[in-house]
Amino acid sequence: MLQCIFLLSDSGEVMLEKQFTGHRVDRSICAWFWEHAVSHGDSSKLQPVIASPTHYLFQIFREGITFLACTQVEMPPLMAIEFLCRVADVLSDYLGELNEDLIKDNFIIVYELLDEMIDNGFPLTTEPTILREMIAPPNIVSKVLSVVTGTSSNVSDTLPVATGSCVPWRTTDLKYSSNEVYVELVEEMDATINRDGVLVKCEIYGEVQINSHITGLPDLTLSFSNPSILDDVRFHPCVRFRPWESHQTLSFVPPDGHFKLMSYRVRKLKNIPLYVKPQITSDAGTCRISLLVGIRNDPGRTIDSITLQFQLPPCILSADLSSNHGTVNILANKTCFWSIGRIPKDKTPSMSGTLVLESGLERLHVFPTFQVGFRIANIALSGLQIDKLDLKTTPARFHKGFRAVTRAGEFEVRS
Amino acid sequence: MFPQFGATAETLSKASTMVFRIGTDAHLYDDPDDVNIAPLLDSKFDSEKCEALKRLLALIAQGCDVSNFFPQVVKNVASQSLEVKKLAYLYLLHYAEKRPNEALLSINCFQKDLGDTNPLVRAWALRTMAGIRLHVIAPIVLVAVGKCARDPSVFVRKCAANALPKLHDLRQEENTETIEEIVGILLNDHSPAVVGAAAAAFASVCPNNLFMIGRNYQRLCEILPDVEEWGQIILTGVLLRYVIARHGLVEGSIMCSLHCKENSQSQKDGLESNPKFTFLEDNGDLGLYYESEIAHMVSQCYIEGPDEYLSRSSLLNKGSYESKSECFHSGESNEDVKILLQCTSPLLWSNNSAVVLAAAGVHWIMAPMKDVKRIVKPLLFVLRSSTASKYVVLNNIQVFAKAMPSLFAPHYEDLYICSSDSYHIKTLKLEILASIATDSSIMSILKEFQDYVRDPDRRFAADTVAAIGICVQRLPKMASTCLEWLLAFTRQECFTTVNGSMDGEAGVLIQAIMSIKSIIRQDPLSHEKVIIQLVRSLDSIKVPAARAMIIWMVGEYGSLGDQIPRMLTTVLKYLARCFMSEALETKLQILNTTVKVLLCAKGEDLLEFQRVLSYVLELAKYDLNYDVRDRASFLKKLLSFHLDSQGVERERNYVPKNKDLSCVLIECIFGQKTKPTPPEPYNHRIYLPGSLSQIVLHAAPGYEPLPKPCSLTCELSASGELATNSNSSVTDDLDTLSGSSDNESASCYSSQHSIRGSSGNGSGDVTGSASEDEGNADPLIQISEVANTYKTQNSGSQSGAADFGELLSNRALESWLDEQPGLSSVNTSEPSIVHRSSARISIGDIRGQVKPKNYALLDPVNGNGLKVDYSFSSEISNISPLLVCIEVSFKNCSSEPMSDITLVDEESSKDLDSADQVTASSITSQDDVPTVVPIEDIICLEPGQTMTRILQVRFHHHLLPLKLALYCNGKRHPVKLRPDIGYFVRALPMDPETFVNKESHLPGMFEYKRSCTFKEHIRELNKDEGESLLVKDKFLEICRCLALKMLSNANLFLVSVDMPIAASLDDASGLCLRFSGEILSTSNPCLITITIEGKCSEPLNVSVKVNCEETVFALNLLNRVINFLAEPSLTQL
Repeated sequence: MLQCIFLLSDSGEVMLEKQFTGHRVDRSICAWFWEHAVSHGDSSKLQPVIASPTHYLFQIFREGITFLACTQVEMPPLMAIEFLCRVADVLSDYLGELNEDLIKDNFIIVYELLDEMIDNGFPLTTEPTILREMIAPPNIVSKVLSVVTGTSSNVSDTLPVATGSCVPWRTTDLKYSSNEVYVELVEEMDATINRDGVLVKCEIYGEVQINSHITGLPDLTLSFSNPSILDDVRFHPCVRFRPWESHQTLSFVPPDGHFKLMSYRVRKLKNIPLYVKPQITSDAGTCRISLLVGIRNDPGRTIDSITLQFQLPPCILSADLSSNHGTVNILANKTCFWSIGRIPKDKTPSMSGTLVLESGLERLHVFPTFQVGFRIANIALSGLQIDKLDLKTTPARFHKGFRAVTRAGEFEVRS
Repeated sequence: MFPQFGATAETLSKASTMVFRIGTDAHLYDDPDDVNIAPLLDSKFDSEKCEALKRLLALIAQGCDVSNFFPQVVKNVASQSLEVKKLAYLYLLHYAEKRPNEALLSINCFQKDLGDTNPLVRAWALRTMAGIRLHVIAPIVLVAVGKCARDPSVFVRKCAANALPKLHDLRQEENTETIEEIVGILLNDHSPAVVGAAAAAFASVCPNNLFMIGRNYQRLCEILPDVEEWGQIILTGVLLRYVIARHGLVEGSIMCSLHCKENSQSQKDGLESNPKFTFLEDNGDLGLYYESEIAHMVSQCYIEGPDEYLSRSSLLNKGSYESKSECFHSGESNEDVKILLQCTSPLLWSNNSAVVLAAAGVHWIMAPMKDVKRIVKPLLFVLRSSTASKYVVLNNIQVFAKAMPSLFAPHYEDLYICSSDSYHIKTLKLEILASIATDSSIMSILKEFQDYVRDPDRRFAADTVAAIGICVQRLPKMASTCLEWLLAFTRQECFTTVNGSMDGEAGVLIQAIMSIKSIIRQDPLSHEKVIIQLVRSLDSIKVPAARAMIIWMVGEYGSLGDQIPRMLTTVLKYLARCFMSEALETKLQILNTTVKVLLCAKGEDLLEFQRVLSYVLELAKYDLNYDVRDRASFLKKLLSFHLDSQGVERERNYVPKNKDLSCVLIECIFGQKTKPTPPEPYNHRIYLPGSLSQIVLHAAPGYEPLPKPCSLTCELSASGELATNSNSSVTDDLDTLSGSSDNESASCYSSQHSIRGSSGNGSGDVTGSASEDEGNADPLIQISEVANTYKTQNSGSQSGAADFGELLSNRALESWLDEQPGLSSVNTSEPSIVHRSSARISIGDIRGQVKPKNYALLDPVNGNGLKVDYSFSSEISNISPLLVCIEVSFKNCSSEPMSDITLVDEESSKDLDSADQVTASSITSQDDVPTVVPIEDIICLEPGQTMTRILQVRFHHHLLPLKLALYCNGKRHPVKLRPDIGYFVRALPMDPETFVNKESHLPGMFEYKRSCTFKEHIRELNKDEGESLLVKDKFLEICRCLALKMLSNANLFLVSVDMPIAASLDDASGLCLRFSGEILSTSNPCLITITIEGKCSEPLNVSVKVNCEETVFALNLLNRVINFLAEPSLTQL
């Protein structure tokens, strides 16, 4: 089981330590870890499981913060990793986002949260709803109060009821004047187009996100009109397995507020909304690059926030890139970033430029991969359709709303 | 350079946050010690206390040691404010172990809080109290945990479950039993949340006590989907272990079927006709064999752990073991297996990747082949969750894919590499892709690989090229396609490396040549053209390692086909010409190759080659590098015969005669062609899926392979048979009897005595109906001899009860002390039989006074009036010297007669079926579990009657309580028998000289010493003073006390007692007692020496020394001796 968690800032400074068991882990392990990370370039490039001379380390990297957990004994590594991810999720939920200052400013809350989330190295309460009841998230009111009166306790003095109920993700005594449920399909398209321009792989990773505000203990059922297209699914704990097994409907008691009901995958799609045509020719120490982006199969909705990003190969000394639409930036780590936005009606966005190769190199022999980003509102490109949403228990009347959005996931074009 | 870089660098953030920091604890973190913290802690305002505590936590967070505030913080635990409490707890837990004495101050507060009406307060108090980790308070915490385990609040019960590992971690042996009991209670809880935590406690407290799982197995399976995700991970593993131990591997699962196939050809034929196996066949026989080999290894590794497996497989013939493992299979239709698979399959849909992997592991090991497929999609889907879990999951998929490529073969597209993947993930994916490629998918995979080699990450490109080589090893059909591409690739690559000085490129090139080499090696003859092409490109390839490899190929395949030999002369000349400018490894390789070519040469080429070789040797002789010079002179010496052209001519004519030693030698070194080797054995270390060890590739501390298949079943059936028609009575409640326990025990002794004494006489003077039972003696307990010995022994032990009331039977005593038959008086007030020989005395009759300690096995309160005690007897079992004899006495304290009393091993009592496993039980007797030789049943026990039985147990040096089941009136009472290490030895008679001699052979690391204080003699001396009829020898009394204490707690032989001669009357320093024994299992002698210091009338300082070859045992024994010497004896109160 986990012995200790450290939170490290992006400069390797230990911001917090929380020991769980009697077998204390000395801070020097962080120094070792940081050295190791630096020798590998970056802690985001490190393996998530590292065997140090004294401990096994698990690390995840989120928004510049490294969550580092240590153990000395056998335990499921994924459990540690998932737990760290959960801690990161809860913290960013509490603090709005994650960064070094926020953690330091709210270190007491972080301590209290960690203390509730894990006991003796084994996860204790990780359900966000319960945590929120136990430890109040910082908000404007409490901040103002603490400034004015100097006192404010964020520790609740009663045990949340949900800890003992069979639906630990929901508090029972909820009252809303208007009952509403919003369902959103959030899809990400992963696609790979190889150097010949062939679509090698195209699939959708989607999530059904629900925002529910309903009185009492509602029992919802959600069904799709074409569940057969789903390749695989994963569920929030609230989803009952039986109804899904027998006739592919989702039956569940939702947590309050916003949550991810399920995630799904649709494989082997054939159409991608955009085309990206890179052309790279190199000769005599320079290299010409040109990129064309356009709509391929019009999804019927506007595609916006189109971006294109690629890493210049290390053998390139300098780059001079320009575009006829949008802006091109080259960041310090040789990442080129072309933000296009929407595709204009009158022209095809293109970017072109020259790259200067390292001296001695005639031609480019390694080629960048272009990562495409886009967003299409109001459509689920997988074609998944929600059939209906029913509420079994009272109140029978409630608002429901549906929406969908598709974004690019790992959408890559090789050159 | 890049003017844009600087300009566009993101410099925002940090500046804008000032506003948001107001109202947070920012100032506390930034300057935690800018105020004096101490007065704040003592403030009467909660807010000030809070602030102080927050400042302390900030200091902790920053790594400062603020433990000096401990006393002040402890006070605040009593605060009414929950926030102060919480913060104080946080502080307390961080430092409690450092400041144990102060931490004790908080215990009262915790105990008060434990009674609070607010469950949150109770839970926090329990968590913190258990987290303090002090040995002293362990008993208090244990009681608290026990109470909280029955708390109405689910959350508190869950915290109780979490507290158990904390207690267990303190390693207090006396508590283990209670802890395990509480784990049992919590596992039985109806709330899934508690069960999850209890499973975690089980896994860390008593992972091998699988019987506990057996009791609740079905219910645990059913509750599994409702348990919290973290609990699911652990519980799945626990259930899997149980099923393996109980039922073994499943017929038709991957673990089983593949090595069955390997075993018997006939079975294989059967399987081939079976549709469910046909999908395995598409790889051809060789591939299949190779894969089944891996699968076999995987399953063996899971069960034995790779270290054991690898070491064994190198020593032993594998086949011999397999036949043994055959018996570990259970049918596909097994209910327990079915239910486990059923309940774990929805977990494959879990949001938590750890749960998915745990469930997949169960299916991988237990599911029949046709169902294993269902783990594939969930595993691949998990890859989308987070990069960290991606890495771990891929690591596991890699093993699955290697053992059963057909599983993942259709999903190769999912393993295509994204540019955003980290290097570790890329290599893992490559490896998996290479191992699952099939004839149908290889084309697309190769296409994909060709894209990868143009990746900017050259390390990755090199790996890709290597992966192509591995693909061809699996699919020889692809050899020519791949070679063609690789050749084209090297040409293009070497083009760039001419100018480039980059290491990465060189690596790719070397890897490419290596892949070509490995492909050619499989079938050199058909790839003759490739070799020629490679040699032709020699001029453009500049990387030394790559050149060396090509040159090696020239030497190796120089005589192949008909085209290569023709170009050899030119090639050699070319090599000789550029020898001077080559790098070291290439030079060496040129030397070797020239020699190899020369040896195979025929006809007119020979002379040419000789010339080249002598030229090269000459060059090498003056090389700057000594390695090259050495190689040259070495070769020259060896080849002197070949270099001499006349010699060669001569050899042609008289072949056998002139072939001298150096020729044979050179033939041996260079002449033999390396043969195409079969695919290399896969000897990676394989650990259980989802384990940490699998990721770090060594067994992490605490890693345990799966239990031995069916180990549990065999154990159950072993004594289950015997328990079939046993009954038992109901447990009742309450200590109403405890008040009279003194009386009770006294009367109990007396009645015991009367039985034993009389039967010891052998005169048939029997009270009650005890003798009838004995008459019925079933064949398992043997015969008269046992009965005799144990009776005499009993009477020996009984004589200790003389302290209570002189209830001795002299004759019984005599039968034991046969050397001194005349000495009947064992009166404590009289110095008995002292042979003063110089300073060495002997307390001859001490054996007679020995009374082994009685432990309660079942008290009448719980046993419906049946009282069962046991004591360890010093007698030696006649069944096996390894068994420890335990005397169990049954007393009916109720007013009704009892019937059918029997005592059996608990494990066995559960399994009452399976007559076919009786044979297996004999196997387990050598196994690592305590074995119990069952006692004969007591048919009937009248009220007030007492009967004794001898139970023989083999403890295997386990010090954990042994669980037994006592049946009485058809009711079952679980009871626990605590082993006593003092009886893991038997008395080994020897004289003092032998003792000293032996002792001198066991010095240093075989010697352990500890000391303690001994007080018991004081009371004894005082008591006698009161009577003071005789002037007593104090020394003697002390010796007697000590010896008695030793002998009644351990089965030892009193060798000698040495006394200081010139000592003053009251100074006991220098007294020395020696005891000897031998360990039951190994017969190693175990020598104990006790020396005393101090005054007679005061507590003595006793130092105990143990000399024994088995150091661990010796240490344990020493601790035990110290324990009982230091503890006051209850029987003498």
